[in-house]
Amino acid sequence: MSRFLNFDTLSLHAGQIVDPVFGARAAPIYQTTSYVFPDTDTASSIFNLERGGHAYSRITNPTVGVLEQRIAALEGGSAAVCTASGMAATFCAITAILGQGDHIVASTQMYGGNISLMKNTLPRFGITATFVDPTDTDGFAKAIQDNTKLIYGELIGNPGLDILDLEAIGKIGADQHIPFMVDATFNTPYLCRCFDYGANMTIHSVTKWMGGHGVAIGGVVVDGGNFDWGATDKYPTITEPYAPFQGINLWEEFGPSAFATRIRAEAMRDFGPSMAPMNAFLLLQGLETLSLRMDKHLANTMELLDFLTNHDQVSWVNHPSLASHSSHELAQKYLPKGAGSIVSFGVKGGREAGKAFIENTELASHLANVGDAKTLVIHPATTTHSRIDAEALVAAGITEDMVRLSVGLEDVADIKADFETGFRAAKRIAKV
Amino acid sequence: MGFRTRQIHSGVTPDPTTGSILTPIYQSTTYVQPSVDEYLSKGFTYSRSGNPTVKALELKLADLEGGIDCACFGTGMSAVLATMLAFLEAGKHAIVSDVAYGGTYRLSTKILSRFGIDYTFADTSNPDDVASSVRDNTALILTETPANPTMKCSDIAAISEIAKSAGAVHAVDNTFLTPYYQLPLELGADVSIHSTTKYMDGHNATVGGAVISRTEEHAEAVRFIQNSTGTIMSPQVAWLTLQGCKTLSIRMDAQSASAMAIAEYLEAHPKVEQVAYPGLESFAQHALSKRQASGFGAMLWFEVKGGVAAGKKLMDNIDVWTLAENLGSVESLITHPVTMTHADVEPAERARVGIIDGLVRASVGLEDTDDLIGALGAALDQI
Repeated sequence: MSRFLNFDTLSLHAGQIVDPVFGARAAPIYQTTSYVFPDTDTASSIFNLERGGHAYSRITNPTVGVLEQRIAALEGGSAAVCTASGMAATFCAITAILGQGDHIVASTQMYGGNISLMKNTLPRFGITATFVDPTDTDGFAKAIQDNTKLIYGELIGNPGLDILDLEAIGKIGADQHIPFMVDATFNTPYLCRCFDYGANMTIHSVTKWMGGHGVAIGGVVVDGGNFDWGATDKYPTITEPYAPFQGINLWEEFGPSAFATRIRAEAMRDFGPSMAPMNAFLLLQGLETLSLRMDKHLANTMELLDFLTNHDQVSWVNHPSLASHSSHELAQKYLPKGAGSIVSFGVKGGREAGKAFIENTELASHLANVGDAKTLVIHPATTTHSRIDAEALVAAGITEDMVRLSVGLEDVADIKADFETGFRAAKRIAKV
Repeated sequence: MGFRTRQIHSGVTPDPTTGSILTPIYQSTTYVQPSVDEYLSKGFTYSRSGNPTVKALELKLADLEGGIDCACFGTGMSAVLATMLAFLEAGKHAIVSDVAYGGTYRLSTKILSRFGIDYTFADTSNPDDVASSVRDNTALILTETPANPTMKCSDIAAISEIAKSAGAVHAVDNTFLTPYYQLPLELGADVSIHSTTKYMDGHNATVGGAVISRTEEHAEAVRFIQNSTGTIMSPQVAWLTLQGCKTLSIRMDAQSASAMAIAEYLEAHPKVEQVAYPGLESFAQHALSKRQASGFGAMLWFEVKGGVAAGKKLMDNIDVWTLAENLGSVESLITHPVTMTHADVEPAERARVGIIDGLVRASVGLEDTDDLIGALGAALDQI
C-alpha cells in the first residue's frame, strides 16, 4: 500500500486487505456481535490490548475497521475510531482527555449540537467552555485558563462560514501543550488535511460529505498522532496507568495513537456508541467517490454563487470563496480547492420572503441535514431558530431573510431553474 | 445432530480470519484470484456464480432437507422456474399439481408453454390421476403439499414411485411444512423447492427461493440454470434468511399449535361453514398428513357462511390479523385467494380445484393464540 499515496487511490484502497478467505473484492459486512477465540490465551491477550483482534463489535468490528483505517489514511492521521454519529465522536473525543474541573476554549461558530454539548451538557459534569469568535485568533490565546485542556473549532464555521486560522491557533495550543481539535466535517480531508496545519485531532460527521448520500448516520475521531502528551502532566488519561487494563500506560504502549486507543478502550467499552457494520459499509461506498463528488459540489457552488450574487431578489450572499468574505484569504490558504458547498444568502423581503422561497422550491429538499448529494435548503428563522426573537437571531448570526443552502450534485441549470421558481414566489410576498 | 442444532449451526463456520461467529455479508461482486494457476482455488469468482454468504445458506438448507446440494434464488418463483428449466425442454411434458400456487400455474400456462413444454394439471391428491397423466415424454412431476390454498395433500412416496417408473423428476414444493415437519427427499422425491420468503425467513423481511437436490446429477442441472439465467439470491437476503432459520422449528411449533387451536375454534363456530386444516380429524387427508409429516403446519382455510360478501366483511373488520399477501411470517396474515393470490387462475379452473369464492386463507403467526382467536371471534360477530 505504501506505493499508493495519493488521495483518490487511498479513498479506494486504504484500510482494506482483500478478504483472505474468499478473495471478496468488496469489504465483507461483518454483521456479527462476537468473534470466536481460537484459545483462551489469545482471548485474554485481545482483552488486555496486548494484541490486536476482535472480541465484541461494540469495541471493534472488521468492517468498521476498514472505514476507520481509510479515513485515518485520507486525513493523514495515526488512527481513527468510528462512532454511531458525529455527536458521539465529539463527545467521546472530549471525554477521553477532559474531566471534572477542566476547560475548553471553543469557537462561537459551531454546529448547534456542539455548542449545546459544551454549553449545557458538559458543564453538568464539571467541564466548562469559553466561546471565542473564530476570526479573533488572539481571543483564543486570551481565553486559555490554567485548566484549559482543549481548543476546539470547526474549520468552516457554522453558520457564518468564517475560517479558523489553523496554523495560528495550532501554535497557541502547541506552545501551551493544549491539543487542538477540529471539526472538519464541512471540508473533509479532500479540501484540507488539518493535521498539516497544526490540528491534533479531527472530528467528522461521516453522515455528511464523506458518506455523501444521506443514507447512514456516523461519526469519526481521527488521531493526528502529532501531540506530545508526555510533555506535560495535564493528561493523566493518556499518560498515567489505566486501571481497567492492568495499569497499562497508553502513551508508552501506543505513542502516536494513544489518544485513539483511549477512546477505544474507554468510550467504546463504557459508553458504547459504536458504528453499525452496515453503516460502515454504506459509508465506505460513499467515500470511494469523495473527491469526484467534492469537485462537483464545488463547481456547482461556484456557479450558484455567481447566479445568486447577480440575482435581483438576493440581498446578500455569504461564502468564503467570495472576495467580499472576511475569511477569503484564510480560505485561499487552507482550502485552495474551494471552501465547501454550504452557502447562505438573504432573500429580499425578509422573513416571509425567505419562507416563500423555501416553500416554492421543488428540487431543493427542505431539511436540516447538509452534505447530501441532493441540494438542501433551510430557512433558519422559521425552523431551527424559530423560537428566538429577532434580536437573538442577529446575535446568532442569523438574519430573518437567511436561507442556508447545501449545494448538491444536480445539474446546476436545474438548481437555478428551481431557485427561480422560489424567487418568483418570494417576490410576490415581498410586494405584498 | 438434531434439527434444532442443525438449523443454527449447519453451513455456518466462524470466519477464519476474525473469528466472527456469524458468516459476514459478502456484498461483493467479484473475488480476487491468487494467481492464474490458482483460479477458483478459494471457491468463488463472481457473485452470480456463487457468493460465500449465499453459500452458507445453501449448505444449511441442503443439510436441513437431507439433500446433497441447494441452490438459492431471488424468489420462490425463480426456484420453480429453475426447476422447470433444469428438467424440461421443448417437446417434454410436465405434470403439475392442479392446486399449485397461482404463480406456478401462470408460469406454466402463460410462459413456458410458449417454449414448447406441455403441461397437465393433475389432481395430485389422487396418485392414480398422476399415473394416468404420465406420457412417454413426461420429464417432471411437480407437487405442492399441502397445496396453496386448498391444503390438499399429495402422497409424496406414491408419486415418487410413479415418477421413478416414468423416468421423471419428482419435485415437491415443501414451503408449507418446511424440512422441520416434512422431508420430501427422504420420502423419495428428487428435488425439494422452497419459497424461503415464508417460514425460512419468517419475518416478512425478504423474498427468496431454494431448490434442494438429492443427487449430484440433479444438483448440477439446477446449478447450471442458476448460473446461466442469473436468478440468484442476494447476499443480504441470504444473511437475513440465515438468521431466520435459527428459530425455524421454534416458530413452526408455536405457529402450528396456534393453527390447531384456531382450526378447532372455527370448526365449532356457528358462522363458519367449513374449515380445512390437516390437523383436524375432519380433514380428508388427515391420515396421509400424519403419515408423511411430523406436523401439520400453520396454514388453514375456512369458509364463512354467507359467501364472498361475508368473507370480505370478515377480512375488512378483523384486528390483529393483517390483510396482506405472503404467508409463513410471525405476523398473522389473512387473504382472499380468489381476488388476491389466485386471481390469475381462470374461474372455471379455480372452481374445479376447490378454490371456492368464499375461501378465506389464514397464515397463523406467532401472536398469542388467545388474541388471534379473540380477533376472529370479534370479526365473526360483526357478520
